[in-house]
Amino acid sequence: MAREQMNPIIEKILLNIEKVMIGKRNVAELSLIALLAEGHVLLEDVPGVGKTMMVRALAKSVNANFRRIQFTPDLLPSDVTGISIYNPKEMEFQFRPGPLMGNIILADEINRTSPKTQSALLEGMEEASVTIDGITHRLQKPFFVMATQNPIEYEGTYPLPEAQLDRFLLKMKMGYPEVDEEIEVLNRAQKVPPIEELFPVIDLEGLLALQKEIKEVYVDDTIKRYIVDIVNMTRRYPGVYLGASPRGSIALMKAAQAYAFMYGRDYVLPDDIQYLAPFVLSHRIILKSEAKFEGTSAEEIVNRVIARIPVPVQRLVK
Amino acid sequence: MKRNLQSFLIYLFGFLLLWEWLRPVEQLTTTDHIEMFILFILLSFGVSFLRVRWIWRLILKIWFILYSVNSFHYDLGFFQTSWLLSFLQDISANFSVILAQDWTGINNELRTLLFFILLWLMVYLIQYWLINRNRIFVFFFMTLIYITVLDTFTLYSANTAIVRTVAVGFAVMGMLTYYRILVKEEVGANSSVTRRWMRPLVIMIAFSVIVGFAAPKFQPIWPDPVPYIKAAGDKGGDDKIGTGVSKVGYGTDDSQLGGPFIGDNSVVFRSEAEQKNYWKVETKDHYTGKGWIPSGSTSFRIDGDELIPVNSIPSTVETRDESSRLYLFMDYDHLIYPAGIQRAQFEREYSLEVDSIKEKVSIFGFNNKPIAPDAYTVEFKIPKYEAAELRETSAANPGQMDAEFIARYTQLPENLPERIKELAESITADETNWFDKAKAIERHFGGSEFRYDQKDVAVPGENDDYVDQFLFDTKSGYCDNFSTSMAVMLRTLGIPARWVKGYTGGDFQEYSDGDSSKSVYEITNNNAHSWVEVYFPNQGWVPFEPTKGFTNDVSINFANPDGTPAAAETTAAPAPKPQQNVRDESGTSPESDNSFSFNLFWLSVKIFFSNNWKMIFILSVIVISAAGLIFRLRGKWIPRLYLLQFRLRKKDENMGKAYLVLLEQLERYGLKRKEGQTLRNYAAYIDTFYASKEMSVLTDRYERYLYHQKLPEGTWKDSRELWENLIKKTIA
Repeated sequence: MAREQMNPIIEKILLNIEKVMIGKRNVAELSLIALLAEGHVLLEDVPGVGKTMMVRALAKSVNANFRRIQFTPDLLPSDVTGISIYNPKEMEFQFRPGPLMGNIILADEINRTSPKTQSALLEGMEEASVTIDGITHRLQKPFFVMATQNPIEYEGTYPLPEAQLDRFLLKMKMGYPEVDEEIEVLNRAQKVPPIEELFPVIDLEGLLALQKEIKEVYVDDTIKRYIVDIVNMTRRYPGVYLGASPRGSIALMKAAQAYAFMYGRDYVLPDDIQYLAPFVLSHRIILKSEAKFEGTSAEEIVNRVIARIPVPVQRLVK
Repeated sequence: MKRNLQSFLIYLFGFLLLWEWLRPVEQLTTTDHIEMFILFILLSFGVSFLRVRWIWRLILKIWFILYSVNSFHYDLGFFQTSWLLSFLQDISANFSVILAQDWTGINNELRTLLFFILLWLMVYLIQYWLINRNRIFVFFFMTLIYITVLDTFTLYSANTAIVRTVAVGFAVMGMLTYYRILVKEEVGANSSVTRRWMRPLVIMIAFSVIVGFAAPKFQPIWPDPVPYIKAAGDKGGDDKIGTGVSKVGYGTDDSQLGGPFIGDNSVVFRSEAEQKNYWKVETKDHYTGKGWIPSGSTSFRIDGDELIPVNSIPSTVETRDESSRLYLFMDYDHLIYPAGIQRAQFEREYSLEVDSIKEKVSIFGFNNKPIAPDAYTVEFKIPKYEAAELRETSAANPGQMDAEFIARYTQLPENLPERIKELAESITADETNWFDKAKAIERHFGGSEFRYDQKDVAVPGENDDYVDQFLFDTKSGYCDNFSTSMAVMLRTLGIPARWVKGYTGGDFQEYSDGDSSKSVYEITNNNAHSWVEVYFPNQGWVPFEPTKGFTNDVSINFANPDGTPAAAETTAAPAPKPQQNVRDESGTSPESDNSFSFNLFWLSVKIFFSNNWKMIFILSVIVISAAGLIFRLRGKWIPRLYLLQFRLRKKDENMGKAYLVLLEQLERYGLKRKEGQTLRNYAAYIDTFYASKEMSVLTDRYERYLYHQKLPEGTWKDSRELWENLIKKTIA
C-alpha cells in the first residue's frame, strides 16, 4: 500500500518510536491503532524482545504518563488500583492512587498474578474506572494498557480466562528482530539509551482529539456486513468451539477505523478488515481440542475464514 | 479411509466396474477360464479392503497367478516344480517372438501371465482413483465407451450391462463427490449428514434407472451410421463381416442364407434410362438346403464391345431396344446389367469374362487385371411376353430342353422335407401349365400370413431347411426367403427355376439433363434384391417376383381367350404397394380415422427428419458451432457493446456499473479474482499484469464510490478513459 499517504501526525509518532525500536514497524503500528481506538493490547512473547521499550517509546511520543506494573504471584489488587490510607493528621482516609492511575500502563507478565489481581486490572480496562472502598474513581484519559504474557513458562502461572482475553482489542507477537536489525540494536546499545532523547510529538489533548476524529471514520454498510460475515463464520467454522463475540465485531470495526485513519483515509476498506482480523479475532476464538491436537491455530482459522468470505464489490441492494 | 460400509461399497463398485470389462471378453474372444480372472480381481480388491500387509498381498497374488497358469496350461500338479521350469522356458521362448514383433506368435502361457499383470495394474489404478483421488469419472466414462462400442460393432449385447454400469458408476461417483466435499469443506462426516446425502442419491439413481428401463424406446429415426463407418472400413462391401448380422448390399457368398441385416443407403450406382428395371448381377442354380451355390464354373473371355452371351430372351419374344447409362459409385468389377443385355459400352477397351453358369460378367482392364469402371452404357432389349405363349408349356419336353439342363435347374437337396412339395402341389392343383403354376405360387406369398421383415429373421439350424423353416415356421423374412422358397417349390414340381441376384430399379432422382425422355434413378445398397427366373422353352427365362411388397415391371400381354386384344398390361405380384425403401415401412399404417392425429403428426415429423436428416444435421452443426463460436468469442464482442453503451453516458454514477462490467470482462479474459481477494489487491495484480497503473487508480475511485458512498464530482470522463483503456487491453 505504498501509494497510501499516511496521516502526518501518526507518521511522526511512528518515526519517533522507530528511533528506539529497530524494525517492528507493524507492532508499533498495531499498538498505536489500539491506543487510537481506545483499546488495549496483549503482547505475547518471550522476555527481552523490547516490549517495554516499545511501550515506553509510545508513551513518550504522546507525552503520556507511563506506569509499569510487574505482576507477581503476591501482588494484591490494591497494589494495582491504589488504596485508601488513614491519615492521622487529617483524621480521614486518603486515597493513594495505584499504578493503574496512569495513561499508558505496561502490565508485565500478567499471567503471573492471581486471578483476583488480574480481574482488578481487567475491570479497570473495561470500565475505565475502579471502585475502591465503595468510591468509584475515574481513570485518566487516554487510558491504554499493554499487557504482556510469556507463552513459554507455565509453571506457577494463572492463564487468563478466555472471557477476559476478550477485553483486549488486539493480541500480537513481537518476534525476534532480523539479523541486520539486531546488529543495529547492538550498535545503539553502546551509546546512551536513545529513549531518553525522545521528544513528544503530540500531547494528550492532541491524542484525545485524534481518538475523537477516528470515531468519525466512515464505515459503509457493505463493510459492516463484511465484518459480521467474517465474525459469524468463525462461530460456525469446523474445529471451533467458541467463535468471536459481537464485542469482536465492534473491536474489528474500531480497529479498522483507526487503521484507515492512520493511512489517511476517512473510510474503511475491506483491506483494512483483512489485515486486522487475525490480530483482533484470533484470541477470541476457542478451538476444539481435536483441532488443537491437529496443530490448527486460531490465526489459521481466521485466515481461512477471510479467504472464504467474499469481499463486497457492489453496493448493497436496498 | 476407514474400513466401514461405505468403503466396502466403494471397493465393491470398483470391482463391479472392472468386471464389466471382462464380461464381453468371454463372449467375443476365445479366452477360457474367465472366472479365474474375475476371481483374481475380486481377490485383489478383497485383500486391499481387508488391508492385508503388502508382503502377504504380493505372495497371495503371485501364488494365485502361478496356480492359475499351472491349472490352465500344465497337467502337472502345482507342487511338482518341473512345471515351473517349463513355464520359464515357455516364457523365454517368447522373447524372440516379441523382438520380431510377431504379436500373434506369443504363446498362451505368456498371454495369461500378461493378462493377469494387466488386471493387477488395473485394480491398483482403480483403487488409487477411488481411495486416494476420490475420482472415478474417467474410468467410468471409458467403461461406458467400451461397452457401447462393443455393443455397436460386435455381437455383444450391452442391454443390461449399460444399466448396471450406469447405476454402479453414478452411485460410486455420488459417494466420491460426497467425500470430496467433506474433505474440502472440512466437515466431519456424521451419520445424519451422510444419510441426507445418500438417500437422495439412491433415490435419484433408482428413479433414473427405472425410468430409463421402463420408458418406451423409439426406433431410431435417423439411419444407422454404423454401416457407413463399416463401409469406410471395408470398401466395396463384397466381404461379409464375420458376425451374425449382415449388412444389406450385394454379396457373393449365399451358401448360408438367413439372419437379420442392417439397412444401408450408400449409393451403388445411378442409372439414366427411360424406365425402371431390375438389374442382374448373377444367378445361382444349386440349392443346398441352407443357401445357394453355383454348380460349377466355366468362364470365357470376350471383348468389351461384343455381344454378351447371357441373354435370357430368345428371339421368339417380341422386344424393343433400350439403352441405359450407369454411373457407378462403388468399385465393383462386375457388370450390372438388365435381363435383356446385348452389349456394354465402355470408355476404354476393356475385356469381359463371362461365367456361363453364374451368368456373372467380370470386367478386365488392359493389363488383365479386374477393373471397376466409373460409368458404362448398356444396350438391352425389353421383352414383351405373350401370356398365351407362356401358357403353352405344361411339361418338360425333352425335345426342347436337354436332360442335363432340366436336371441342373430342378436340382434339390436329398433331404428336402417332403411337405414343401406337398404344399407346392396343393397350391397349383387347379393349374395345368407352368406359367399359371408359377403365378399361383407367386400369389401364395402375397398371403397375409407372410410378413416382410429384415430384423427378426431366423437362421436355419443344423437340421433345418432354409425354405422349410420359412414356409411353415417363421413366415417372415426378406427377398432371399421369398425368392428361394419360390424357386425351390417350382423345382419340386419339375419346373426349371433359378435364383437371381441383383438390384431393384431404385428411386427416381431427377429428370435427365440431356435426354428428356430419360430419368435418373438412384440404386443404393438397400435396393439389393433377389428374385426368381423360370424357364419356358419358347420364351426363355422369365422373371417372377415373389417377395411381398416388391414389383418387377415385366410386361406380359394377357390376350383374352376370345381373341379381343387386351392392352399390354404390366403384371406383377399382387403387391399392396411398392415399397422399396425399408425405412418407409416403419409404422406407415395409419390406423385412425381422424384427419389429424398425433401419430400422424409424429409420423410426418419422422418422415421429414428421415428425409432431410443430412440437411438438418449439417444445419444444426452449423448453428451449434456458430453459437459456440459466438460464445467463445464473447470476450471480444461483449465489451465492444459496453464501450458503445458507456460512451453515451454522462453521469458520475455510471462508474459503479462500468467497474463491475470491467471485473466481468477481466474474468472472461482469464484474470480471475478470488472470492476473498480485495479489489485493491486485485487491482495491483492487474496492474502488474499489464504493467500499468490504470486499474489501481480506477479502483481507488470505485472504492470511494462503494465504501464511502461518495464520488468526486466530474470524474466520470476521466474514469471512463481509464476504463476504456482497460477494456481495450482485454480485447486486444
